Amino acid sequence: MNRSAKIVNSKVAGYSSLITFSVLLIAWIAGFSSRLFAVIRFESIIHEFDPWFNYRATAYMVEHGWHKFLNWFDERAWYPLGRIVGGTVYPGLMITSGSIHYLLHMLNIPVHIRDICVFLAPVFSGLTSISTYLLTKELWSPGAGLFAASFIAIVPGYISRSVAGSYDNEGIAIFALQFTYFLWVRSVKTGSVFWSAAAALSYFYMVSAWGGYVFIINLIPLHVFVLLLMGRYSPRLLTSYSTFYILGLLFSMQIPFVGFQPIRTSEHMAAMGVFVLLLAVATLRHLQSVLSKNEFKKLFLVGGLLAAVIVFIAVVILTVMGVVAPWSGRFYSLWDTGYAKIHIPIIASVSEHQPTTWFSFFFDLHILVCAFPVGLWYCIKQVNDERVFVVLYAISAVYFAGVMVRLMLTLTPVVCMLAGVAFSGLLDVFLQEDSSKRIQGSTNSTLDADDHEESLEKKSLYDKAGKLKHRTKHDATHEGGISSNLKSIVILAVLMILMMFAVHCTWVTSNAYSSPSIVLAFHNSQDGSRNILDDFREAYYWLSQNTADDARIMSWWDYGYQIAGMANRTTLVDNNTWNNSHIALVGKAMSSTEEKSYEIMTSLDVDYVLVIFGGVIGYSGDDINKFLWMVRIAEGEHPKDIKESDFFTDRGEFRVDAEGAPALLNCLMYKLSYYRFGELKLDYRGPSGYDRTRNAVIGNKDFDLTYLEEAYTTEHWLVRIYRVKKPFEFNRPSLKAKERIVPPSNFISRKNLKRRKGFIRNRPIVVKGKRTLK
Amino acid sequence: MWKILLIAILAISNCQAVLDNDANTLVLLDNLAIRETHSIFFKGLQDRGFKLTYKLADDSSLLLSRYGEYLYKHVIIFAPSVEEFGGDISVERLAQFVDDGGNVLVAGSEKSGDALREFASECGFELDEENAAVIDHLNYDASDAGDHTTILTAAKNLIDAASVVGKDNRKAEAAPLLYRGTGLIADKENPLVLKLLTAESSAYSYNPDSNISDYPHAVGRGTLLIAALQARNNARVVFSGSLYFFSDESFTTAVQYAQSGVFHKMSGNRAVAESISQWVFGESGRLRVASVHHNKEGERNPPEQAYTITDPVVYTIAIEELVAGKWQAFKANDIQLEFVRIDPFVRTTLKQTKGGSYQAKFKIPDVYGVYQFKVDYDRVGYTHLYNTTQVSVRPLEHTQYERFIPSAFPYYTSAFSMMIGVFVFAFVFLHFKDEPMGKSVKDDKKHQ
Repeated sequence: MNRSAKIVNSKVAGYSSLITFSVLLIAWIAGFSSRLFAVIRFESIIHEFDPWFNYRATAYMVEHGWHKFLNWFDERAWYPLGRIVGGTVYPGLMITSGSIHYLLHMLNIPVHIRDICVFLAPVFSGLTSISTYLLTKELWSPGAGLFAASFIAIVPGYISRSVAGSYDNEGIAIFALQFTYFLWVRSVKTGSVFWSAAAALSYFYMVSAWGGYVFIINLIPLHVFVLLLMGRYSPRLLTSYSTFYILGLLFSMQIPFVGFQPIRTSEHMAAMGVFVLLLAVATLRHLQSVLSKNEFKKLFLVGGLLAAVIVFIAVVILTVMGVVAPWSGRFYSLWDTGYAKIHIPIIASVSEHQPTTWFSFFFDLHILVCAFPVGLWYCIKQVNDERVFVVLYAISAVYFAGVMVRLMLTLTPVVCMLAGVAFSGLLDVFLQEDSSKRIQGSTNSTLDADDHEESLEKKSLYDKAGKLKHRTKHDATHEGGISSNLKSIVILAVLMILMMFAVHCTWVTSNAYSSPSIVLAFHNSQDGSRNILDDFREAYYWLSQNTADDARIMSWWDYGYQIAGMANRTTLVDNNTWNNSHIALVGKAMSSTEEKSYEIMTSLDVDYVLVIFGGVIGYSGDDINKFLWMVRIAEGEHPKDIKESDFFTDRGEFRVDAEGAPALLNCLMYKLSYYRFGELKLDYRGPSGYDRTRNAVIGNKDFDLTYLEEAYTTEHWLVRIYRVKKPFEFNRPSLKAKERIVPPSNFISRKNLKRRKGFIRNRPIVVKGKRTLK
Repeated sequence: MWKILLIAILAISNCQAVLDNDANTLVLLDNLAIRETHSIFFKGLQDRGFKLTYKLADDSSLLLSRYGEYLYKHVIIFAPSVEEFGGDISVERLAQFVDDGGNVLVAGSEKSGDALREFASECGFELDEENAAVIDHLNYDASDAGDHTTILTAAKNLIDAASVVGKDNRKAEAAPLLYRGTGLIADKENPLVLKLLTAESSAYSYNPDSNISDYPHAVGRGTLLIAALQARNNARVVFSGSLYFFSDESFTTAVQYAQSGVFHKMSGNRAVAESISQWVFGESGRLRVASVHHNKEGERNPPEQAYTITDPVVYTIAIEELVAGKWQAFKANDIQLEFVRIDPFVRTTLKQTKGGSYQAKFKIPDVYGVYQFKVDYDRVGYTHLYNTTQVSVRPLEHTQYERFIPSAFPYYTSAFSMMIGVFVFAFVFLHFKDEPMGKSVKDDKKHQ
């Protein structure tokens, strides 16, 4: 190359890096700002349920230091069992925001830890888009990478988990996931120990951040396995996988919560099996180079079969002996969608563990869901080592996303990447002519072609040799056949689609994913004004101000983290659903009669009961609607006392009105939700006691509570708190009138406000002026 | 004019009288004659320091509390035939008084009024039907008028609780008790009711003037004469079916079994009535927890945060009993301590130390969680002693585990030998690589 070419080359490189930089920067800013709806509309507040625990744990860590956090025994959760927080938590999130806090304070920037927590996920979305860019660049081209980065910055499927305030593991885990995959692909491509060690380090971060690391430790071995099956074994693969696996194994075991799981549970066995297999294949390759063909064939058949059988038997025996734990319930429910419903109601009861509807694929991914198969097709057609990876990633993620709504999150990045590939492929075809014409007109026409060739060569380094020619031919024929009008129409259409995608993303983010869910907003249909329901915080604040510091509050587990985080009171169960039987006990208390549940509540030292009731405002996520899950979970542990069928009518309906099942109308949850609701008239025409959520007049209106008393009900009746009476408050069991052997007389009081004199029978009356007879 | 003035003065003085009233016991009577007929009992109370305020039960100025403060600590109702209390007092108010910790002593008779019946059922027992009296055709007193309702019951029929009925009153040689009145029926479901005194096995409760057509409500030993309730807040209510039991007459007369002719110079009523009144007004049988202390063995203070699993722990509780108006160390050998997390993990008997307090030493179980030290001492005749102290028990910290486990030494050896091996290998690999090359070159040269 001559000098001028060099200058032009560096100029082009400069422009392209400027474009890359600015696109990524804009993606970051756009991603960050589109996640701020909740902060602008409400305030800088932690959302939902799990983030409250993460925030509380982070605040604890910042206050007390890492070692105290590691050894933190939380006696305020899971009363009276307590919870070892340090050993049952993925600490990556807390460490990340804690170190940011530390760093900022070292620079004398006093930011409250809450604000760091609130804004952590939006900031990390920028990092996610950068790592997506890197990964897509490795897989396809920088152009596709830029597309993918822009997509992931605003795609609702990812925003749903990373809006400001949604301080959850997923917020940083998706970044770790994408970055690990990038490093892995890099290491497979280069076969360098450096990159695979980096991948292992990134994997370590992922393990520390999210339980979804299992996806990585299964997908990467699957990649290796499929490569082996495709006959694409190379020493690079051996180097990168064995380095990654061993380092990753050691790293992952450093997280207290993970501990020995990587060598003891079935979820991790695939990785180990592939590791052994890879070593075996490497050995065979080596032998192949040493031995003659015939000898090798025999050895291969016998040895391969023997090894497979031995490995299989070993795994089975270890599982049976209990050394290797069988698949966990959550994992089973990924394969059999009906499994959880039958065996583990507590998993099935979580709405985000439900199967995904078709609608939500489009809702969360919009046009990407259509472009994604195209990108997949491109990758399959021009397959190489790393594209095998992305194909596997796509297929497995699609499957998992179909099983659980929650796993939509793992699908989203790969959809963005492949859609990026699709769009960049499209633009490659339809923008090619213009640029090539322009380049042809310029003096350095050959340069670009050279570059193109070079890059193609580079790309096809690991390709099968035959494909290169075919592709160039293909391209050439295309370029010839399309008129410039058609091209501009197509490009305009594509741009329109992309614009609509951006509009859709903003709309979804603003309407569906930016509600903090502890503060509710609704639009008044009459005057269009926006009303805020702050009942949750009102109730939690009441608890924190009006109850004893060690008061124990019973509620359904959904609200455990919030009570602990906002009211700072002891809870019996919370969202860390580690002890099913304890939850079942609370479920039993909720679904028994008042008398029976009082026994349970006294044995658990319950001071207050908190229920969520949406019947006044029509809030559908309240406890009565969740009630069947409480019954199911309780039935799982106490099948003799609680039966789900008792709570349905004869026709199998779950209804709260007068035709409802008697067990339902007399259970504690019903009574606590509807206590004195029968007296409430919501509007002038309707009947009293009309439940707006279930559109029914309640069946049991007139009842009193014996063992509990109403302590607090929030403005819109959303949260109702009851105090459990202590045994000494039932001072003396008195005899009721009908229990008496001697029937009570019907004495009518003669006292009134003025005449306060009592009445004594046979009272001696002093009669003046008379002598007694005796 | 002077009449109005007098009334005004009277009103003021009356008002004053109520305000300055520091009498702590209200006595409600059917008629003021009862004050004279039961003077020994009242005198005994006054001698023990009680200030008695006598009122007629239907007095329209009766007042139990003012501005939310109770004017009296105890109430004695010696008004069997009251149908309705006067003034502020009603059955509900009395029940509330008990729930707020007040003690009540009630005596009824064959002709008990409605108010007493209602109050009795609030406390978990009933008075037998109107006109029904306890009749005993075998064990009646010689002074009986003929219908065998002035009965005698032996001292052994008293409840076996020295703090209620006195130490010596239950002995075999103690004089029998004179009783004339109605029988009580206790609620069988009520665990708080104490049967202080029952009749002999030959007694029953029925109207002596009518033929027996129905089965009597109370028969034999089941005929309850004096019943008591110690509520969960330790308020005490004693209900006697006989006002006569507390009278001067029954206190002082000689008793003689009409059938067997066994003679006692004096009935046992006085001593028993006195100890029952002591118990009901909280002079005896009262316990309290003076102090609770727990710490890890070898330390002085309880840990700041939590105990660690398998810590040896020392628990000390000082329990005091009210004896003759003074709190003294309580002596017993059956006080137990439980270490509870839903279920008791440890249950042990507390041992009395030299200082009079009780102590237990045990090892905290190897299970973490929130526990309670629980002392639940519930004995007949004593206040219900219930004390819980909540402590947390945490698992080992990451620094508290053993650093080297003996059984893992093969692994340590392998790890260290591996490290040494790698080091040696690296050393060899780096430094002795050239020599064979050089040799081979030399060899080559030689060959050449």
